[in-house]
Amino acid sequence: MTSNNRGRRRPKRLLKSLAIYSATTVAVVFFMFPIFWLIATAFKTRAQAFSTPPLFVWEPTFRNFIDIFLKRQTEIEAITGQEIELATGAELFFYNSFIVTLSSILIATFIGTLAAYSFSRYRPLGTNTMMFFILSTRMLPAIVVAIPIYFFYRAVGLYNTYPGLIMLYVMFNLPFAVWMMKSFFDEIPRDIEQAALVDGSTPWRVFYKVAIPQVYVGLGATIGFLTINIWNEFLFALLLTERSTRTIPVMIAGTRGEVGINWGLIAAIETLYVLPALVLIFILQRYLLRGMTFGTVRGAK
Amino acid sequence: MTRVEIRELKKSFNSVQVVKGVSLEVEDGSFTALLGPTGAGKTTILKCIAGAERPDEGEILFDGEVVNDVPPWKRNVALFFQTYALYPHMSVYDNISYPLREHKVRREEMEVRVRRVAEKLRIAYLLDRKDPSTLSGGEMQRVALARTLVREPRVFLLDEPISNLDAKLREEMRLEFKRIQRELKQTIIYATPDFVEAFSLAQKVAVIRDGKIVQYDTPSNLMRRPKDKFVATFIGAPTINILRGRLKREGGRLILLCGGISLHVGNEGGYTSRIEEGQEVEVGFRPQSVTLQPSGGDNVLGARILSAEFMGHETILTLDIGPSEIRAVVKGVARYSYGDEVRIGIERDAFLLFDAEKGEVLR
Repeated sequence: MTSNNRGRRRPKRLLKSLAIYSATTVAVVFFMFPIFWLIATAFKTRAQAFSTPPLFVWEPTFRNFIDIFLKRQTEIEAITGQEIELATGAELFFYNSFIVTLSSILIATFIGTLAAYSFSRYRPLGTNTMMFFILSTRMLPAIVVAIPIYFFYRAVGLYNTYPGLIMLYVMFNLPFAVWMMKSFFDEIPRDIEQAALVDGSTPWRVFYKVAIPQVYVGLGATIGFLTINIWNEFLFALLLTERSTRTIPVMIAGTRGEVGINWGLIAAIETLYVLPALVLIFILQRYLLRGMTFGTVRGAK
Repeated sequence: MTRVEIRELKKSFNSVQVVKGVSLEVEDGSFTALLGPTGAGKTTILKCIAGAERPDEGEILFDGEVVNDVPPWKRNVALFFQTYALYPHMSVYDNISYPLREHKVRREEMEVRVRRVAEKLRIAYLLDRKDPSTLSGGEMQRVALARTLVREPRVFLLDEPISNLDAKLREEMRLEFKRIQRELKQTIIYATPDFVEAFSLAQKVAVIRDGKIVQYDTPSNLMRRPKDKFVATFIGAPTINILRGRLKREGGRLILLCGGISLHVGNEGGYTSRIEEGQEVEVGFRPQSVTLQPSGGDNVLGARILSAEFMGHETILTLDIGPSEIRAVVKGVARYSYGDEVRIGIERDAFLLFDAEKGEVLR
């Protein structure tokens, strides 16, 4: 009877997993297609990019990528014989983006982790109020404070500076860092840290030798989250920077071709722009996959 | 080698008071057990002594010196956590050697000590394991125990350290604890819910209930002169038999009337507290003081066998004596089956009288 049952169940199970896999495939294709099309466009000439029907097979060109960083001979030049400075200056903006993002993440994660640990373990008076207060800074839309911050930054000389932008990003992202890290610290049993204290470690050593290694997963998630936030930030970067501190999102928005919008060039810049974030998330994802069960030896209260 | 003293210790977690004024003196180099059911506050008391938790009120003294403000990393106390609290990101070796590294013990000495304790606990083969979460429950407990015993602290605090080990290893560990206390003159405070463990190890046992010490005494005194019904029922296996009834004086003798049977539970002269005619009391007598098929003696009753459990050296009988069921322990194999009628006798001296409301012993 049992074998008979199993025999009947097998095709059913097969059908079920087939359905799951096809649904997953559809979803993945749906969400990944824009990224694929972006990258594809980056390797197309203008004519190829606009061809109808859309080209799925073509001879790739690296021209767009070269154009990002090098002066190029354009169609106009060829006709008029005039030499026009058309290099995008992207290397500066990439550099700016890296500096601003890395510094902001480092500072926000550092301060956020310490604050979260303190809130989780030492519970200073008014912890709940303070946690709410920290979050409340993110409750009004950023655009509301855009104008005051612009004038304020102008007035105190933070306009168009790295520290200005970094400070702003740290301020905007600290609440996330604190809340995320606190929830991860809250999850690890206190006994382990108490054991380390009794075993002779000072609170600082307990923090970085015992507590932090247990929340590597959370640290990875937090850094990933902040990366997405900061690397992609557009509004304040647009408002508070000029050429010398401009970041990539602002640059992309301002990129035009000499005749209309050069979609191939923009796609190429965007491809380079999403690449670091993709790589980082990919690395961090492997951390996340190490499993949420890591660290729990035996559930303590 | 430290005398530990606790004075009026109180501790609450989120407005729930877990320890409600505990005072305890543990002599230098002695073995004391904290005995009580789960949730009685044993773990919290140990954590306060170790400094892992800060008392809300009260003082903790080591050798007469208040250590409330000495941080845990300077107290030099070894605490075994009931939850093991292994460092999940460290190998077994690193877990065990952690306290030595934190106390700056030289590398060579550290290796020798770790290996010695690991061999004693039969976990030497585990030392290279990277991830402690892959260990079995018993292995984790031994690693945690090794991390505690590898140290040379002022006091050992052990919170249910052998609950998860098999019977043989448990016995060996008991001997090991005794050896540590005897040879190294170490002060050991040991929390357990198991009275057999407490009695076999400790010189003095503090019975804890609901955040308070009910009685702090030697095992034999606890057994013979429990302070109240809780202590009497918590220690001893099988549990002490309790009958409820009214007392009657009969020419200096105290008779308990209980649902149709009457028991001679002692003589009036033996009690200093006032015993009144018709007073409602509870009496307790240990299953070991019941004799089967007696040839005369006190309190001979008819009983019906409900069950007989053979335990290896003795048999535990459950008997119906009319108003209540009682348990009796007899030596060897008792060949009875359900429904058999027997006669039993209960020694007159074996009775403990408890106040029916407060549960206090009447003496």
